[in-house]
Amino acid sequence: MKFQIPIGPQHPALKEPIGLRMTVEGEVIRDADIRLGYNHRGLEKLAEQKTWIQNIYLTERICGICSHSHTTCYVQGVEKLMELEPPKRGLYIRTLVAELERIHSHMLWLGVAGHEAGFDSFFMYTWRDREIVMDILETISGNRVHYGINTIGGVRRDLDEQQIKHILDSLEILRKRSEYYKNLGTNEPSFVARLAGVGYLSKEDAIALCAVGPTLRASGVPMDVRKDDPYAVYDEIPFEVCTADTCDVLGRTVVRIKELFQCYNIIEYLLKNLPAGPVAVRAPRRAKPNEVVSRYEAPRGENIHYIKSNGTDKPERLKVRAPTLGNYAATIKMLKNGFIADVPLIFAAIDPCICCGERAVSLVDARTGQEKIISMNALKNLSLKVTAGKARKREAEWPL
Amino acid sequence: MLTKLTNWSRLKSPWILHLNTGACNACDIEVVAALTPRFDVERFGILLKATPRHADVIVCTGPATRQMKDRLIRIYEQTPDPKFVIAVGACAMSGGVYRGAYNVLGGIDQVIPVDVYIPGCPVRPDAVIDGVVKLLNKLKG
Amino acid sequence: MNDQVLIDKAKASLGDRVEITNPAPRRIFIRVKADDLLAAVGWLKNEAGFTHLSTISGVDLGQSFEILYHFANNFICVTIRTEISRDHPLLPSICELIPGAVLYERELQDMFGIVVQNIPDGRPLVLPDDWPSGNFPLRKDWKYERPPEVIPGGKK
Repeated sequence: MKFQIPIGPQHPALKEPIGLRMTVEGEVIRDADIRLGYNHRGLEKLAEQKTWIQNIYLTERICGICSHSHTTCYVQGVEKLMELEPPKRGLYIRTLVAELERIHSHMLWLGVAGHEAGFDSFFMYTWRDREIVMDILETISGNRVHYGINTIGGVRRDLDEQQIKHILDSLEILRKRSEYYKNLGTNEPSFVARLAGVGYLSKEDAIALCAVGPTLRASGVPMDVRKDDPYAVYDEIPFEVCTADTCDVLGRTVVRIKELFQCYNIIEYLLKNLPAGPVAVRAPRRAKPNEVVSRYEAPRGENIHYIKSNGTDKPERLKVRAPTLGNYAATIKMLKNGFIADVPLIFAAIDPCICCGERAVSLVDARTGQEKIISMNALKNLSLKVTAGKARKREAEWPL
Repeated sequence: MLTKLTNWSRLKSPWILHLNTGACNACDIEVVAALTPRFDVERFGILLKATPRHADVIVCTGPATRQMKDRLIRIYEQTPDPKFVIAVGACAMSGGVYRGAYNVLGGIDQVIPVDVYIPGCPVRPDAVIDGVVKLLNKLKG
Repeated sequence: MNDQVLIDKAKASLGDRVEITNPAPRRIFIRVKADDLLAAVGWLKNEAGFTHLSTISGVDLGQSFEILYHFANNFICVTIRTEISRDHPLLPSICELIPGAVLYERELQDMFGIVVQNIPDGRPLVLPDDWPSGNFPLRKDWKYERPPEVIPGGKK
């Protein structure tokens, strides 16, 4: 007996509006469908009417959590169009802010995953530690979110000795606190048991459906734009691509925790080897007619911008493909044959940034066609009930 | 007598509903960050509720997109009286950077009546707390 | 593999149906006709090992539409471009070879009015439910007239 459940735009937690329609049979999901468009703002058309510099401000606001990734991807592309070489110090500062953004985004995600699985203390811990990173970003750039540190040809602000010392001290505190996240499995086996086996995506499926980011890396595929197509100064920095091979939500958590530690190492390397010099070069107003493809590894996956210029001071075409869009096809595959109570977890595991969708779930009975609306809160309560350990026993190993 | 009690409880402990109508998420994480240990609004009695039927105050972020217009009106009608709407961020006030885009109607006040506007792009959590407090003062007086 | 190796392999397999340019390191652009599109994508997937499609972009060139397919692997980013006419915008779907392409093709249908043949699921992706049909936002000749704004409690 099949029901169809719509999950609609208003929901109690942090996410954006999307609509999800799932066909269920009892508790098991047979089919899923995603309705985008609640967050569609017509940005690509708007970008054709603004100049190159105004577009930096616009692309930053595609997403609030990964705002630096969109500006950097755009600015890299425009610098190639205008044939500019930003100075090394500018590139180092750009990479530093990129890694800080990755840390804050992964901590945000860990908190959200903990919240969806019912582990609210973990949510409060990670967001408290995230405030340390927000303070660092505020000293560097002046704002907690939407740093605005990029400009065409380099960065806008410089670092001084006091800020570098503040960052290195905070990094020590963060490393100590992240040890708790790393040992989470041994301290909290119920958390690990809740995440294991949920949202399975095999390696072949992940490759065929063109998944990106930690979702892909948790299925054992080592694709990372920082290694494949190095931009900024990533070809000089030693780091590893983190993968896991459990192919489920547990693997994605492990990949993100491993990446946190890689970020700390990268930032330490950057600050110790910061070269002297200017931070930006002057950029011309117009760009010659040309086209460029620019890729970037955002915290959620591969971010790709295609920019075409026509000789004036406005772009001819700006195409943005944010990482979460690449993971949708994989999400639908993951939801099939899962349980309704796992929906918040599976959806949170791809780290949705739908501003780059609202959740109401409506259940539709496939036989009679009747609709029953259940709120996301009820769905979440269902998920929490399962965490209380009743219906399932899973043997899970914590890989760290 | 009972009205005095309910008014007092509304002033001392407003329950908010957080609604995102197409924003970039920055204002949303700042509103949720107001619950975390550094700012901690729960000690003032402000609780984040899941459904509009339990809420006193709707905290709204993001420009109103065409697709969200009907849902926004429906949620506004589902909230019981007396209700208040706070528009958080530049996008909710007037459309922000997205003014002129084809899928954006403008600020939230094109669709529902708004009581308090909080500027910023994005808004600091302190500013959110300040806005809610100003709303309560407006009610008292 | 580096750029030159891939260019030689492409010339050997596809011959003169393709024009190849290499404007920057790790960026190769291949131009094909719309009829040869499936052959080129098939070659890229099966023989050259590019299974990851990053996105599909559409550009309005005035008289025609240009469609770009961006592929990537651990070394190079390859873009296949093809052109279709504006009056009869028909494009073959590559979803049999690359299942993950369906969302990007749906977006092309919404934004430009291109008709993708054999698409497994052709519903609109991003435009709202009450969008008047026949309006394709990303075409160059589509202009948006903003309706006058209402300022609550104030002057018009």
